[in-house]
Parts: sequence; structure tokens; C-alpha cells
Amino acid sequence: MAERVAAGAPLSLRAELAAARLPPLVVAAERVAATVMQGVHGRRRSGQGDAFWQFRPYLPGDDAGRVDWRQSAKSDRLYLRETEWESAQTVALWRDSSAGMDWSGDRTRPTKRERADLLLLALSALLLRGGERVRLLGGGRGLSGRGALPELALRLEAQSGPPADETLPRHARMVLFGDFLAPLPALRERLAPLAASGARGTLVALHDPAEETLPYGGRVRFEPLDGTEPALVPRVEGIRALYEERMAAHRAGLAALAASLGFRLLSHGTDHPPEVALMALWQALAPAGTR
Amino acid sequence: MMGALSFAAPWLLVALAALPALYWLLRVTPPTPRRQSFPPARFLRDLPAVEETPARTPWWLLLLRLVAAALIVLGLARPIWNAQQGEAGEAPLLVVVDDGWASASDWPDRMAAAGAALDAASRAGRRVALLPTSPAATGEAPHPTGWMPAEEARARLAALRPHPWAPDRAAALAALRSWRNGAFASLYVTDGLAHGGDDGSALMAALAEAGSLQVARGAPGAARVLAPPRAEADRLVLALRRAPGGPAGEAGVLAMTPDGRTLGRAVLPLAAGATEAEGALELPVEIRNSVTQMVLEGDAQTPLPGAAGTVLLDERFRRRPVGLLAAQEEAADAPLTGALYYLDRALSPTAEIRRGTLDQLLSRRLAVLVLADRPLAEGAETEAVTRFVEGGGLLLRFAGPRLAERGDSLLPVPLRAGERALGSALSWERPQTLAPFPEGSPFAGLTPPAEVTVSTQVLAEPIPRLAERSWARLADGTPLVTFENRGQGRIVLFHVTANADWSDLPLSGLYIDMLRRVVALSSGVVGNEGEAPLAPIETLDGFGRLGAPPPAAGPIPAARLDATVPAPRNPPGWYGTAGEGGERRALNLSAHLPELRPAASTPSGARETRIGGVPAERDLGPWLLAAALLLLAADLLLSLQSRGLGLRARAAAVALALLLPGFAAAQGPGSTPSPDGAPALATRLAYVVTGDRQADEVSRQGLVGLSEYVNRRTAAGLAEPVALRPGQDDLSFYPLLLWVVLPDAAEPGAEAVAALNTFMRNGGIILFDTRNEGSGEGVSLGADAALRRLTRNLQVPPLAPLPEDHVLKRAFYLLPDLPGRYAGGPVWVARDTDRANDSVSPVIIGGHDWASAWAVDARGNNPYAVMPGGTRQRTLAYRFGVNLVIYALTGNYKGDQVHVPAILERLGN
Repeated sequence: MAERVAAGAPLSLRAELAAARLPPLVVAAERVAATVMQGVHGRRRSGQGDAFWQFRPYLPGDDAGRVDWRQSAKSDRLYLRETEWESAQTVALWRDSSAGMDWSGDRTRPTKRERADLLLLALSALLLRGGERVRLLGGGRGLSGRGALPELALRLEAQSGPPADETLPRHARMVLFGDFLAPLPALRERLAPLAASGARGTLVALHDPAEETLPYGGRVRFEPLDGTEPALVPRVEGIRALYEERMAAHRAGLAALAASLGFRLLSHGTDHPPEVALMALWQALAPAGTR
Repeated sequence: MMGALSFAAPWLLVALAALPALYWLLRVTPPTPRRQSFPPARFLRDLPAVEETPARTPWWLLLLRLVAAALIVLGLARPIWNAQQGEAGEAPLLVVVDDGWASASDWPDRMAAAGAALDAASRAGRRVALLPTSPAATGEAPHPTGWMPAEEARARLAALRPHPWAPDRAAALAALRSWRNGAFASLYVTDGLAHGGDDGSALMAALAEAGSLQVARGAPGAARVLAPPRAEADRLVLALRRAPGGPAGEAGVLAMTPDGRTLGRAVLPLAAGATEAEGALELPVEIRNSVTQMVLEGDAQTPLPGAAGTVLLDERFRRRPVGLLAAQEEAADAPLTGALYYLDRALSPTAEIRRGTLDQLLSRRLAVLVLADRPLAEGAETEAVTRFVEGGGLLLRFAGPRLAERGDSLLPVPLRAGERALGSALSWERPQTLAPFPEGSPFAGLTPPAEVTVSTQVLAEPIPRLAERSWARLADGTPLVTFENRGQGRIVLFHVTANADWSDLPLSGLYIDMLRRVVALSSGVVGNEGEAPLAPIETLDGFGRLGAPPPAAGPIPAARLDATVPAPRNPPGWYGTAGEGGERRALNLSAHLPELRPAASTPSGARETRIGGVPAERDLGPWLLAAALLLLAADLLLSLQSRGLGLRARAAAVALALLLPGFAAAQGPGSTPSPDGAPALATRLAYVVTGDRQADEVSRQGLVGLSEYVNRRTAAGLAEPVALRPGQDDLSFYPLLLWVVLPDAAEPGAEAVAALNTFMRNGGIILFDTRNEGSGEGVSLGADAALRRLTRNLQVPPLAPLPEDHVLKRAFYLLPDLPGRYAGGPVWVARDTDRANDSVSPVIIGGHDWASAWAVDARGNNPYAVMPGGTRQRTLAYRFGVNLVIYALTGNYKGDQVHVPAILERLGN
């Protein structure tokens, strides 16, 4: 609905609309020692932050300016006021930018790439509202704050290339969007280094319904968009069952691959509303306590 | 032949017989496979083969293609609707066209009539020559062109325009006599009027003699002439003449300003067959003064009245310049007491007021010279004014203490020395009222109000015929306004002052009426130029439009302007001296047109036709070809679609772009935002590039860290900070500029200084950071001198140490001091007394190295330790940054909270 209402609006605005229905997403912050930044996660220890943490007795060597005189006046000892150290989780995002993504089986449906962009930005909006930091794989510094969404949309337009980032902190959380139609060995080759770095994440496999059902007839020459060899099919009706069989085999292989690498796999058809996929992502990322 | 369809190339229709062959050809060709883009095409390779679908072109596509082919054949056969019967015979055709002023009224019909003859000649393959009968705009006498193909003659015909002067049929006849070669047929498109006694009979006779003649005439009475209007007191009397034979109706005349606004419209009734009509246009003088053109409206009989229906109104119809002069210029305009105050206000709505010294006033032509109690010195002054009066000027004088003291020779009546006071403390007499104005006075008809009284006046010596020289008197019979004709001009004296010192007269509406009537008596500013040539400024074309003068137009001696008959060398229009204040004179075509008489009737043996009302012939060929092209384009789209190129929308756009030229150009760049506009899309912090790479990196990191902190804590959304070079980059998009002052900083250039000053004047804030204050003292030696050097040419307001209650300390967080990497030093802002920009300080100067305290590296850590140290200091540094950004974005908005207690108290009461 929100998508239809604002069909002419900029992508970042539509993403905000799609994300408006879900509560702010606070990623379970686990093992974030290497990626800490100030944020909303209380670190359960003293440091830079706004929330009161504890009063600590004055020790020799402490700056006299830090003495909390109001507290100290209540007793004979001097106390220092300490605040809780706050930090944020960084979530790395990536979207497949290959030519095959720029395709839609029907003009009434968005292309897979448009839907991937929308989902990515909607997820980012949720994360940013939750105070988290968001970055693109291979796309530079992490971003935070409400104003970061347009900047992220700009970077997303420029993003291309495989999911790889040398500067990615270990144990980062990541979400990868794509159609994952490449042969399985190639996919494994690409995803294995990410899994090896300790990153944990989610694969969102987007597909157009036409790719599932092959709704064509007659004599058709099928041309893949990446410039490889076209396939001439004299009579499409005759091979539909065979095609579905091959596609199912690929899906099963992809699920096995994701499981073996420790990724969670979500499947999403572009004929479904984006909120469905967003809800699934939200549940995948949110800690059990905030659901 | 009317309303019929004929083919110019009927033999081409044979090609229709080939359509069945085309049908067979299209039928046997198999369709190409559909093309379908499909990302998972990989899964479709190497599939077992199944049977082919039968190939058949659908019947509707066949029909579409056959119709397109038939349309092409039909279109090439040149079908023509309403083909005209051309002039019979094989002889070449001479087209004679009257292109004088009288042809403008129905010029499109005349062109259509001549054009139809050319079309017929073109189809018959006859050669054509053209003969316009008016002298060309270059002044050349009319002469026929050589024989040429009809298509070429069509271009020549289309270039013809009616001229704003009369045709010269005698010259055309002479040219024809010397040119004539062999027998030819001719078509004469005549305006139906006699011009200068030549009714065209000789020309028609000569044409009839050479071969068959066809004469095309317009409707009788179409040509109309608007004579120059006669100006009366408050209206313009209009006269219209037209050729005999016109039907009853009415003609509208518009009064227009130079910028094309219509100020009034008069309607002149026309009786059937009448050749003249009169009417009046009533306009207040104020409005009449701005009218420069009277234009005849076009209607059904006279669609385009042309140059004869346009009258230009020059100074004779317009405002008269009035020069005002008082004895003491400096006090003359004092409200309510100044000598010229009432005069200026009474006359300026209707007259052009000029001020200056006597010499300046008389150096330009003036209708009225007003002297308010200003005696004229003997000698040069008196001589100059005498010359002005005798040359036709109106000298209007007002009495007063000075004139009462000492009269001069330029007075209508000799005056007694001293003034006469009525109703003063030492007098028995009462102030006098005005007597009714005598018959023959220009003021006759005005009623003096009873409350107007005169308390002081100058008295005339009793001379014979004093009564005749009086235009107005007081109730006791003493003259109030006297006059005397002198030379071609006139001297008028008001025996009271021009202000309210001596009488109530200037306070009443009567004063305004009297002054306007006196000014209306002046002769205007005409006719003194002698032989000085007046150059053409703007001239009328045949349709009555003003434009640049044609190259042949030359100047006219001013004295002979009224006698000049419009001709190629002297087209009607504006003449005068160019430049500000130069007088403009109008040369009107209608002023010199004699009575309109019809031309001679058509000689026997010639055919006479009526122009207009002939249905234009219509060549259907191009339309059929265009329809065929559209069908083929549709066919192209259909076949593209059937091959599944997936380009439906884009192919349609391309086809449209091909069919509608210009569409593609409209789709050009411009939809993509220019890179220059990018900074305006988001709010950003900015820093000035110092040239030192490390310092610039610290500034960038600092602003990145601050932007993130601000984004997280406040509603402000800041984008990535940018580096700027003042003078090269546009500063206007940025609210805050961080400028780290290095000891070796160079003085900014002139453009940079100008850009920074503009930036500060428009509300921008510059934060100068010397990085050497407080706990950082001595770190950056020489930065203070560098700061002085940098700001030497900047418009920095007076500075003061940051006060305790400054908005900078309370814009978002309440801050006791403003630490950065260092702490404890003073911070300087503009003194609060400066009210420019709502007291928002355009500069903030300090040395706490804030950028280092804010800096965040790529991993999100703070790379620079703060001194003396502690997380508290860094937090405060960030909080100062937030306050600074809020201060830059909202100004003193937060400062208004100091009024909250007062407002609450008021609400409570």
C-alpha cells in the first residue's frame, strides 16, 4: 500500500514509508568489541555516555574537577560520577548489481533490483531509527543518524561489484540481497571468504514470479541479460515442467550452501509486498527479547 | 470542378494493381521468433527438442500493411480537392498586384487569389512574372520580374507586403511598356481605388492589349482611413473615411499607449454607402496625455485596417511642458508654505513639470513658464524671456512681496508699488471674495466658491481697457487675473501669490481648474525647429505596426514635416531627435490621403472576379503519405513487440520522437540535476582548506565526528562535511565554516575576502580556531599574528569575550565553558550591541582546537587525547559543537527564552 501510494516518490522516502510500520530495530549486540561506537547499547561499564552508571569513590590521581560534590556532601567520602559507556552495532549491507537484477517479468512489477534497493533502504531506516550504524560492503565508513538515509541511497546507486570488503570488522552482521542465480560453485567461492571472516548474516534471495512459472508460449529466444549465449526454445509449453525441476534443484542447492556457511536464507518474490520480507528480516535480526 | 477530386498524376494509380502480389509475398514469409530477455536462461539451454509452432502472419497485420501500401500509391498520385480552373491558354502569366496602403485591409485574401492563380499556372507548366505596382521600400520604382517557374514566383509572392504609401500605377505602366515581350495573359489584383487621380484605366488597357486579362477586386468599401483627430478641451474628435459602396456597420477606434495598453474605445456608426463617419473619444486629460496611437479596429469588412487606420499622436496632442521657477529655489518645495508646492501638485497630473534655472528651462522647448513671485533682472534675463513669449510661449506669473516691491517690463498691466492688504488688523476692509468670471474669459463656466477669499493682492494702475485685460476680478472689481498678448505668445498674471499666503485660492479646487485652463491655452511646443532635419525613429509598415525604419527612410526638415506625403523615403511614423528629452513628431499617412474614389471599371473583354470566399484547393497527397507513415510506424511497433524486444515503452517513445520533431530536443538534458546544485540538497558543515594536509584531515575528521554526534542527539540532519576554498567555491549553502588558523597562513586574496564578507553579511558564521589557548598555550606559536593577517580585510564586527548568558552557552546544552582539546582560554564573539543579523555573531574566535576533540577516525575512535583530560571534557567539547551547530542553524531563537518569565507572568494575570 505504502509502496503504491508513493510510487513517484524518491526511493529513500518510499523505504521510510515501508519501514514506518515496524518498531525501531535494535540488533542484538553480541561480540561487538571490534566495532564499538557510541550508541544506544549500554555497555554495562563506565565510559563516555549520557546515562548515569555509578558513583565511585575518589581515588588519588583522579581529576578534582570530576568530583560530584552533591553526592560527596552526603557522607564523609568523596565520590566521582560515572556514566555508562554506550556503543552501537554496525550492520553491513550489500545488493547484487549484476545485469540480471534489472529485470521484471511484468511491467506492473518492480524489477528485482528496485525491490532489493527498497528492502535495503527500509531495513537501513529501521536500523538507523534504532540507533545502529549501517554501511555498504565496499562502500566506506559506517553511517548513523536520521540524515544518513539519503546519503546511503546515494552510495547505493554507485555500489557495484561482488560482496567483498577488506575493512569489514570481524564478526560484523551483514544482509545480502540478490537473486543468487549464478551456478552454485561460483556462489560458494564468493560467499566463503565472508563466512570465514566470522561475519554472520542473512541472504535475501529475490525472484520474479515469471522466473518460477515460465509463463511464455510459442517459439521464443531467451536472452540472459549478462550477455552470455541465448537459448532458443521452439515450443516453450513443452519444456515448462523440466525448467521448474531445474529451478527447484538450484533453490535446494542454495539453501544447503547457505546452511553450510552459517547464513540464514530468506526468499522473497517481487509480487509480494515488501513489508512481508521486511518483517522476516526484522525477526531475523532482532534479539529474542524485543520481538 | 468545384468540390471535386482530381489527380495530378493519375498514371501512378496503375501501381494499385500490384497489391495482390504484395499480399502473396507477405503471406509466405514466416514470423521471426519472439525475443524474450530472461535472467535464468541458463536453465533453458540443452533442453530436448519439441515440435515447432506453425508460422503464420496474422490477418490484421496483413491488412495493415496492404492499407499502408495503397495509401502510399494514392498519395504519390497527388489527389487534389477543389482544383482551380486556371487561366486558359498556354501563354505565360503576368500577375500584377496593387501593394499600396489600401491593399492591407484584405491582404491575406489577395495573396490567396494570386496564389491560386500561381498554383493553376504551376500545374499547367506556365511561366509566371510578378509586377507589384508600388515603389519598393528601397525607393525603387515598380518593375516586373523576369519570367520564372510558378514555384519560384510563389516565393516572390509570399515576400510581398503592403506598403504604407500609395501605389504608382503610372510608373508600373511605364515599366511594363519598356519590358513587354510577346503575348501574355495577366491577372490584376487591384485595390479598387484611384490614387492621385490615376484610376488604373491606362494600366488595365495596356494589360488587356497584351492578352487575356482577369481583374480580381476586393469587396467595395473595404479600405478605411482614420484621419488625425482634432483635440478639444476634454475629448478627441475622430473622423473616418472609407471607399464608397460599403455596407452599414460601425467602426471601433482604440486609444493606445506606447506599451500597447488600450485606454479608451470610441464607436463610429457607418451608414450604408456612406463614405464618412464622425465620433468623439472622451478621455480625461490625465489619461489622454498617455495616449500615443489611435488605431482602427479590424472587423468583418476590414480585417486589417493597416497604416491608414493608425494615427500617431505627437506632442501637439499631448502634455505640455511647464517650467516652474521661484525666487528662492531651496524653500520652494516646503510643504504647505513653499512657493511652488501648490503649483506642482496642481499641474503634475496633467502637465510635464520641469525645474531648474531660467537658462536651463529656456534651453529646451517649453509651453508655459511659471514665475512665482520672481522678478526678472534687466538685461539678458528679460531678453531671454521676452524672446520666449514673442516666440509663442505662455508666461504665467504670480505676484508676491518681491514683485510688489519692484515690477518689470514683462507684466500684462503696470502695477502700483506695494501690496494692498484687505482685512488686516489695521484695516477696516474685509477679505474679498471672487466675482463671477466674465464672458470671454477662459475661466467662464467655473463657479468661484464663496469660501475663497483674498486678503492681499497687488493692484494694477488704472489704464484704459483694464477690464478687457482681466480674466478674473474680485467682488470689488479689482482685477485678480490679467493677461496681455505679446508677439505670438501671452503673459498672464495672477495678482496673488502661488501659495496660500495672500489668499485661500490655492487651497480650493478652483485653483487647479484655473491653472489647467491657462496651460491648455498655450500653443504646445510645435513648429520652431526650422530646417533642422528630423530622423526617422520608428516607422509604420503596411499593416500599421511600428518597427525599425527601412534602410531607404531619410530625415525630413522639421518645417516641412506637415507637408510631407508618405513615400519610400519618408514612411509614416515617428520622426525626431533620438535620445532622452528629444521631441518626437508624427508623420501620419491619413493626413495626406485625398477623398477616396473608386478605380475605373474593368475594360470590356476582361474577366472580373471577386477575391475572398474562394475555397482554397487542398492537396491531399501529403496527408495520405503521412497516414501511410503512421500505419508503417504502428506496424514497426507491432513487429518489435511480437519479437519480444521488451522495449514497448521505449520504442513508442522513439517512434513518437521520430514523428514529432522537437520532442527529442525537449527530452534533452536538464532533467538530471546539475552537480552545482548538489550542495543545496542537504545541510553540511564546512571547513576552509588551509593547505596543510594534516590540519585539513583533522578538520574533516572533526566535522565528521561532530556531524554524527549532532545527528544522533538532535533533530538536525547533517550530511558529510565538505572542504571549501573561499573565492572559488560558493559559500552560500553552508551555515558554519570552520577555519583552523595555522602560523604560516597566507593572507586571503581579494575574491576570497569578498566571498567571506558576503558570507558573513548574509548570516554565515565562521569559527576561527588558533589552537593555542588555555591548556594549549604555546602549542601553535604565531597563530595570533596569522589570525590578524587573515582577518585584516574581513568586516569583523567589534568583539568581546563570550558573556555568561550568551546563546552559545545555552542553545542546546547548558554549558559552563567551551572546552575543546584544550580548555580554559577565552572565546570571542561579536559585541551584543551589533543588531545586524539579529545579534548573531558572524565570527567566533577561540583557540581550543575543537576539531581535534571532535575528530573520529575510520574505525570510530577518537584519535586525539584531550588536555587536561577526562571523558567529561570530550563530552563537553561535543556539547559545545552541538550548541554551535544549533546556534548557526537557528540564530538567537533560543535567546528568546529569556522572555519566558515575563510571558508567564502576563499569562498568569
